[in-house]
Amino acid sequence: MYTPVFIDDLPDVSSISNRKSELYRLTRARALADLLLDETANWQERACPGCGQDRSQSGNFSQAMVPFHRCSHCNTIYAARVPDQARLEALRTRLLAEAGNTETSAAAGSRREFEFVSILNWIRLTEARTATSAGGLLPHVLDYRFCSESPAWPGAVERLGKNRDWRFMPLDAKAAAGNFADLRDQLQANPPEAVLLNTEMDRVADPAGLLRVIRANAPRGTLVFVATSCADGLEYEILGADSPSFVPLDRLNIFSVKGFETLARELGYEPLEISTPGRLDAVILQRYFTEIENADVPFWSGFFREADKDRLRDLQILLQRSLRSGVMRFVLKT
Amino acid sequence: MSLRAAIIGYGKMGQIRHRAMERHGGFEVVAACDTHTDFDAGIPLMTDPAKVYDYDPDVIFCCVPNMMIPDTVCEALSRGKHVFSEKPPGRNSADVRRMQEAEATHPELVLKFGFNHRFHDAIESALQLIEGGTMGDLYFMRGVYGKAGGADYAKNWRNDPEQSGGGILIDQGIHMLDLFLMFADRFTDVQSFVQRKFWTDVPVEDNAFALMKNPKGVVASLHSSATQWQHRFTLELYTHGGFISVNGILSASGTYGTEVLNVALNRLDKDGNPIPNPESQEIRFTEDRSWDKEIAEFHAAVTKGTPIRCGTSQQALDVMSLVEQIYAADADWSSGLAARSVKAV
Ligand SMILES: [Zn+2]
Repeated sequence: MYTPVFIDDLPDVSSISNRKSELYRLTRARALADLLLDETANWQERACPGCGQDRSQSGNFSQAMVPFHRCSHCNTIYAARVPDQARLEALRTRLLAEAGNTETSAAAGSRREFEFVSILNWIRLTEARTATSAGGLLPHVLDYRFCSESPAWPGAVERLGKNRDWRFMPLDAKAAAGNFADLRDQLQANPPEAVLLNTEMDRVADPAGLLRVIRANAPRGTLVFVATSCADGLEYEILGADSPSFVPLDRLNIFSVKGFETLARELGYEPLEISTPGRLDAVILQRYFTEIENADVPFWSGFFREADKDRLRDLQILLQRSLRSGVMRFVLKT
Repeated sequence: MSLRAAIIGYGKMGQIRHRAMERHGGFEVVAACDTHTDFDAGIPLMTDPAKVYDYDPDVIFCCVPNMMIPDTVCEALSRGKHVFSEKPPGRNSADVRRMQEAEATHPELVLKFGFNHRFHDAIESALQLIEGGTMGDLYFMRGVYGKAGGADYAKNWRNDPEQSGGGILIDQGIHMLDLFLMFADRFTDVQSFVQRKFWTDVPVEDNAFALMKNPKGVVASLHSSATQWQHRFTLELYTHGGFISVNGILSASGTYGTEVLNVALNRLDKDGNPIPNPESQEIRFTEDRSWDKEIAEFHAAVTKGTPIRCGTSQQALDVMSLVEQIYAADADWSSGLAARSVKAV
C-alpha cells in the first residue's frame, strides 16, 4: 500500500482567513439547533463509525448542542447522535438553496481549479500505478455530491478535465431517499471505473451505508477516491472543538486513518493508498496561537508563535509523512 | 520446486545471495567455493570451483571477481547448469559475447545477470509511470551515482583493470547506465570525460561524466564518481507532462539514504504553459526487496520457463558496449589507457 506525501507550497494565512466565515458557521449552527428542536426528527445514538467501539469508552470531544466523542480506540471524532439520513439531506438541500450561488467569484473559481488539478493529478497518478494490476484505466469518474457543495467545481472540471468523462451527481434529497438510492441506480445504469467522494464522508449520517451502496453496486475493481477530514491531524489534536475547520453539521464524522481503514476493510474494500495531504495545519495553528494571546499549550504555543514560513513548511511535510495532517485521502478498491 | 544451488565466490555478494535464497524458500544451497574456507557457513565450503559440481547442483551462482566471471559462467553452462551471475558481466563486451556463445549452445538453460537496481521499488514505480503514458514523452534523464572510494581502494581488485576492466564506471556507474538503457533502449551518440582525481597512482578512473543521446533524441547525462564523499544516488526523468525523480537507493551499506520517489504532473496556466514547481507526490521506500524479487525472477525462469525481464545477456552486452563507448569517447583517457595497459603488460 502506498502512503504518498503531497509536496506543495503552503498557502498564505491571509488566503485562508475567510475559509469558514462566521456567517456560514452561524447558519450551520442554527440549522442544527432547529433540527434538535424539531420533535419529528429521529435521532439515532451511535457507536464509533470507524471501529465500532462503544461510546461509553470514549472521551467527550465537545459539549456543543450535539455531543461529540473522540474514540479512545481509533481516534475518530464523531457526533454521538445523528438525525436520519433523509432528514439530513433535506436540511442540506435547504441550506444550499438558501445560500444561493455564492461561490461564483473568480477567486472561488481559481480555488476550485487548484483543488481540481490536485484531485485530477491524484487520480491520474493512481491510474498509472494501478493500470497493470487493476487491469484498466479510469475514463469515467462519478463525482458524488461535491458539485452541490461547490458550485464553482463543475466549471473547473469542464475547463481542465479533458479526455475524461466526469459525471456529476448533485445532492438530491428526494432521489436519494435517505438510503443513497440515486447512487445505487446510477452505479447500476452507468457503472464508472472510479467514484469520487470529496468531503462527503464528513457529512453523511451513515458513512457505512454510503460505502456499502458503492461496494454492492459498482463492478469489482472500481476505485473509490475518498477525500475527507482527518482526526489525526495536528489541527484537531491541538484545537479539538476550537478548530476553525470544525463546523458540527459539516463534520458529523471526522475519521482517523485507523478508523476509516477499519471501516473500509470491514466492508470488503481493499485500501490501495492512504495519505494525509493537508496543507493547512501549520498555518491554521500559527494563526490561532498568534491571535489568541492567552492560549497556552505546552511546547506548541511557543513553537507556532516563533516559527517562520520555512519551519511551518517543514512541520507540514513532517505531518504528512507521519499521516498526521487534518485532511486525508484514501484510494479504495471494491 | 526446490533447486539445488552452489555458490562460486562466497564473499559479500555470495553471502547476500545465500540469504536471499533462504528467504525465498525455493532453493537448497548445497555447496560454496571461495579462496578461504576457514569459517562455518552452514554448508560445505571448498576452494576448488570444480568440486561444487560433485554436489549435483541445478543452478550456479557466480559471485566471483569480474575477470573470472566468463570462465565460471561458460563452465557452468557447459555442464548443463542454469546460471545467475553478478554484474558487471565480465570486463568488456568480448567477455559478454563469449558467454552468449555458450548460452546459445544451451538454449534450455537460464542465464541471468544481477542488475538488481531494476528491481528497486522506486525504479519499478518510475518505469510503470513512464510506460503507462501518463507522464508523456521522455525528454531527458540525469543520473548521479557515487561513493567515497573506500579504505583499501588502491589494493582492491576492483581497481586493477586487468581484473575488473575499469574503475567506478564499470563497478557502480554501470547500474545507472543499465537504468538509462531500460528507459531509452539504446544510445547512438556518446560523449564523455573520464578522469583520475584523487587516486592518481591507480590506473582506473575515479570519475566519469557522460552525455548520451538515443535515436529519438532522448538525452541522458551520467556522473559516476568514486570521490562522491557524500554518497548519492539520483535519477531524474523529465517528460512532456511532468517529472519523476528517485533520490537515494536502498543498499546493503545503507549509505545512500531512504529510497524516495517524487513524481509530479504539471499544472498549466491559461495559455497552456507549465507553472513552475507543481505539487509533487513523494513516496518513500524503506525496505529493500530488490534481492528477493531478483531471486524470485530467476527461480521462476528456471522452474516455470518465464522469460527473464531484467539481466538478460543481451542487456549485459548493451550496457558493456555502452561502458566501452564512454571510455572510448574521451580521447585523452582512451589513449592514456592504452599506454597504461602496455605498461602493465
Ligand atoms: Zn473508533
